[in-house]
Amino acid sequence: MQLLVGTRKGFFSVRGDDERRSFDVAGPYLTGWTINHAIADPRDGALYACTNNWVYGGTVHRSEDGGETWERTEGLGLPEDSELKLASTWHLEPGHPSQPGTLWLGGEPGVLFRSDDSGATWEVNRGVLEHPTRDRWQPGAGGLICHSITLDPTNADRLWIGISAAGVFRTEDGGATWQPANTGTEACFLPDDPFPEVGQCVHKLLAHPGRPDRLWQQNHCGIYRSDDGGEAWERLDENGVPSPFGFALALDPNDPDAAWVIPEEGAENRVTCNGRIGIYSTRDAGASWKLQIAQEPAWAAVLREGMSWDDRAVYAGTQSGFVYALCDGEIVEAARHLPPVLSVEAAPLQ
Amino acid sequence: MAVVILPGLLAAEAGGQKRFELTATTLREALSALPVADLLLDERGDVRSLVHVYVDGERAQDLAVPLVASAQVRIVAAIAGG
Repeated sequence: MQLLVGTRKGFFSVRGDDERRSFDVAGPYLTGWTINHAIADPRDGALYACTNNWVYGGTVHRSEDGGETWERTEGLGLPEDSELKLASTWHLEPGHPSQPGTLWLGGEPGVLFRSDDSGATWEVNRGVLEHPTRDRWQPGAGGLICHSITLDPTNADRLWIGISAAGVFRTEDGGATWQPANTGTEACFLPDDPFPEVGQCVHKLLAHPGRPDRLWQQNHCGIYRSDDGGEAWERLDENGVPSPFGFALALDPNDPDAAWVIPEEGAENRVTCNGRIGIYSTRDAGASWKLQIAQEPAWAAVLREGMSWDDRAVYAGTQSGFVYALCDGEIVEAARHLPPVLSVEAAPLQ
Repeated sequence: MAVVILPGLLAAEAGGQKRFELTATTLREALSALPVADLLLDERGDVRSLVHVYVDGERAQDLAVPLVASAQVRIVAAIAGG
């Protein structure tokens, strides 16, 4: 297997053995680019990366050889009538299995693109771009970014997105229209109306692949679970995690009641809690949480794309350049002294 | 022919080619002909704010500026980062 590791300074492939005990680092590739997210498309094995440069803007690169060489998407941008310009790219999601060649891309300022030709060209989603609530969206610390895109594997027309700070939106018609799905999630930074229709600062949103009505989110203001596709949310962080604030979230494909989070002290001090990298897991749908310590002492952070999983392990990469694997109850250091890690995705080795 | 010289990252994106000889009557025409035009110009055709373009040693602010056949165009990224 390999971990696709996006960093502030290039892309790395961290290759692990079947037992997740031994790892080797290959790279860097895409040097000069900041990799906000990198994925492997399970349908054809191609790699895709959200590549950004403070001078040359945001785009997408694609690799057909496991990351050795990459080709750039040209001409990615927003239509003139929007009066917006693309600032950066943040998240890539392979499309539904019935739609080979389809990918989704989230970016700043709060925009979603779809490609139907394996990333060669991208079309902006008008339903998000022209959403009637857009004037009530406001940027978080990372900008007004569409960072979460999660699909219903049983229904190609149904997916959810997360935008900071606009909240969660659901489509049932393949992206033509989007409904806010924030009932019960708090915008604790809004003193006048902490439960608005939109404006929540979702940090990471995931639908469980085996039970897609079950959604999990790590939010600026708590950890939440929905069992009805985002119609309503239940808050879970009052059950043993040290802080409601955090970014990282991982699920278990075989257990919809399981999740992992890595809380941070808070919005004003964005480091892991209590001077250690603490990974909190639940096996009872968030009723209780158990701590495992990856590193202590440590004042690190794991960003929204910095956590991933496969059927054997959970993985986390830190802004201090370490990558950890949590497998069979043990934590193994998979990489150290990388540039600040922005994203981790587990994939089969090509 | 005008010559355009790219910095390292853009040259890598252009397949390793750092120096381009182009027939172009304006600076916009020269930049638009490059395989990295989308990295220099945004979706409105504006030069990205941290991309600096020099023609024969002078900072060019106007893409409509005519290019003489012997012009040397240098792309310089603003100094930033850490």
